[in-house]
Amino acid sequence: MAGVSRQSRRDLLKVGALGAAASLAGPSIVRAAPKAMTMMHESSFIPPYDAFFKNKLAVAYEKATGIKINYEVVSVGSLLTRVTTTAENGSGPDMSTVGFNWAYLFDEKLIDVSDIAAEIGKEGGGWYDNAQEAVVVNGKWKAIPYANIGQLMNWRTDWFKEAGYEKFPDTWDELLEAGIKLKKNGHPFGFELGHGFGDNHGWLYPLLWSYGGREVEADGKTIVIDSDETARAIDYCRRLYKETMVEDCLGWTDVSNNKAFLSEQISCTNNAESILWLAKKDFPEMAKVIDQSQNPTGPKGRFHFLNVQAHAIFSHTPDKQAAKDFLRWLMKPENLGPWYDVAVTYYQPFLHKYDDAPMWNVDKRNIPYRDAVASAHLPGWPAPLSRAQVEVIAKFVVIDMFAQACAGKSTKDAIAEAKQKLTAIYKA
Amino acid sequence: MTAIVAPADTTRRRPAFSLARWLERPGVFSWMMVGPPIIFLGMLVGYPFFYGIWLSLLNRPVAAEGKFIGLDNYIADWHDPAFWQVVINTFVYTIVATILKMVFGLGLALVMNQDFRFKNLTRALLLLPFIVPTVLSTIAWQWILDPAFSVINWTLVTLHLIAPPGPSWLGNPDLAMGSLIIVNVWRGLPFYAITLLAGLQTISPDLYEAATIDGAGTWTKFRYITLPLMKPVIFIVTMFSVIFTFADFQLIYVLTRGGPANSTQVFATYAFDVAMNGGQFGQGAAIALTMVPALALMIAAMAIYLRPSKS
Repeated sequence: MAGVSRQSRRDLLKVGALGAAASLAGPSIVRAAPKAMTMMHESSFIPPYDAFFKNKLAVAYEKATGIKINYEVVSVGSLLTRVTTTAENGSGPDMSTVGFNWAYLFDEKLIDVSDIAAEIGKEGGGWYDNAQEAVVVNGKWKAIPYANIGQLMNWRTDWFKEAGYEKFPDTWDELLEAGIKLKKNGHPFGFELGHGFGDNHGWLYPLLWSYGGREVEADGKTIVIDSDETARAIDYCRRLYKETMVEDCLGWTDVSNNKAFLSEQISCTNNAESILWLAKKDFPEMAKVIDQSQNPTGPKGRFHFLNVQAHAIFSHTPDKQAAKDFLRWLMKPENLGPWYDVAVTYYQPFLHKYDDAPMWNVDKRNIPYRDAVASAHLPGWPAPLSRAQVEVIAKFVVIDMFAQACAGKSTKDAIAEAKQKLTAIYKA
Repeated sequence: MTAIVAPADTTRRRPAFSLARWLERPGVFSWMMVGPPIIFLGMLVGYPFFYGIWLSLLNRPVAAEGKFIGLDNYIADWHDPAFWQVVINTFVYTIVATILKMVFGLGLALVMNQDFRFKNLTRALLLLPFIVPTVLSTIAWQWILDPAFSVINWTLVTLHLIAPPGPSWLGNPDLAMGSLIIVNVWRGLPFYAITLLAGLQTISPDLYEAATIDGAGTWTKFRYITLPLMKPVIFIVTMFSVIFTFADFQLIYVLTRGGPANSTQVFATYAFDVAMNGGQFGQGAAIALTMVPALALMIAAMAIYLRPSKS
């Protein structure tokens, strides 16, 4: 790494010198391309996806431009720490995947990519509106969203059928009803209520929203968690937990529900496509009786969790234009399309051009993940991105509000504590 | 005789400078020995510590400039219900785990101090939980504590002592704390046992023989010989254990990440969540630093209580 950035810095000096010389000599400006750049990604759950970047995309780009793209993979769950150290130290990879609300968190350390975002959107049939929720900070695109990793309902068709359900329940109430029957049959549900980083948010925020509850108003200031809507969502959650789930899910982290589902301990959970993906690979018989569905609808509609994956360029990158050029190239349909294809639909595009891409025909059971993108939001919605929102997630304020109620706290007390925490956080 | 004749040249000459001799001067040599550790500690402990104090006085979000806000971070902690839960959790975790480690560690050391076959092999094996990287052994515990795969639950269910699937070791807020304490005790016990064993071996057998002649029983010998002589070792090992347990991170982060419903959230995990995941360095530093006075108080109390008697 050090070698790369030293090289790049030297190149930058060269560029400066050449530029100065060129401006003296005449109108033509010479720009020396960097020898190499580094892109950082979290290790993908779909190994061929990482391999495709390394062995195909990076190689093709080097062939076309002479610029080597290093692909640095960090382990699952440690990307935020790496991005933090990179941004704080102002050295390290030139580009990285950012998720969730990181574009806001690292705003000052990321460059504005609005220009290429506009071009990519135009070429790709337009962006999904909500893609901007996670990457547009103060009117500027700070990252290029390349995919959503949706969190949807994963369920066992055979056991649901046994309980009299051919289709997945459409409403939360029907889901509760089904869950009671399934638990009686020895097939409980299991939704994460612990301190993981994805599968808990994946269903608890959509549940809250679909009952009309929210943490804060669109102004980003007015705390509105203390509402009848929130109370109804909590009461529902408590019943769902007590009457349909295994006790253990209160302490689950993100791997737990995958483990429980694949070991046939539970009949339904909320997860990314990884369960079906793994089942197809390792448990083909079980894979035949797994299906995936959108989250149930509540009194105020149907919602999903926005799990954005976006590419950002660090401001310490010596040649910003070269990094932009690469992202622009990467997002071209001829490069991006095949990359999506290797992971089938695990990564759901934010560009409408891919709404009917052939990958959606590989397995019809994945289609709900496409249809869920438009109704997905970030925690804190409908308020815009803010540091307070990031802190609310890190402190598990909403997750623990539900978990405490499930563990025995009264709805009123759980809401009161969440309100106290939110008020303290949003005042800052 | 010539030896006592004064030298012909009476002018005083300073002895030629000798680096070797200069280095051997106590003033120089002692600083040479003490200097590197001081620099080392200053860089790796002192600087981060004082930088941490400075950070805790700032509103310092990640990737942005800090703004001095005095004690606001500490005041915010004071009003944060989760923070008080963290304080209680950390004390319960540290006190219960340390007492259990002390009792079982001393017991184990007393057993290991006996003569038996494969004594050395057993002593070496005893260290295993301590040697295995925490994250690895904790992942093994994750399986042990998962109701679906738990060997404990399987045994209890097979013996018809409980109905399947059995207790949720990490899902029930009360059991979760208990489970973490058990894992911590399992991991920290060898440290206690081996250190106390080393202490036991320094006690002269003569004392026990003399006591036996005086008619002392096993308990009396333990109470009046072993325990008083072991006090300094117990103090040191307990102090280390309190510090390690109080600031424990890996074990909790792997098993529960502070859940369910914050019931196992301790200082280190909460500070990490706030600073690294929440991007609030100032507040994270303030949470971490509140550990210091609490820890100092606990150690001071222990120092007074376990003070070796002057006699």
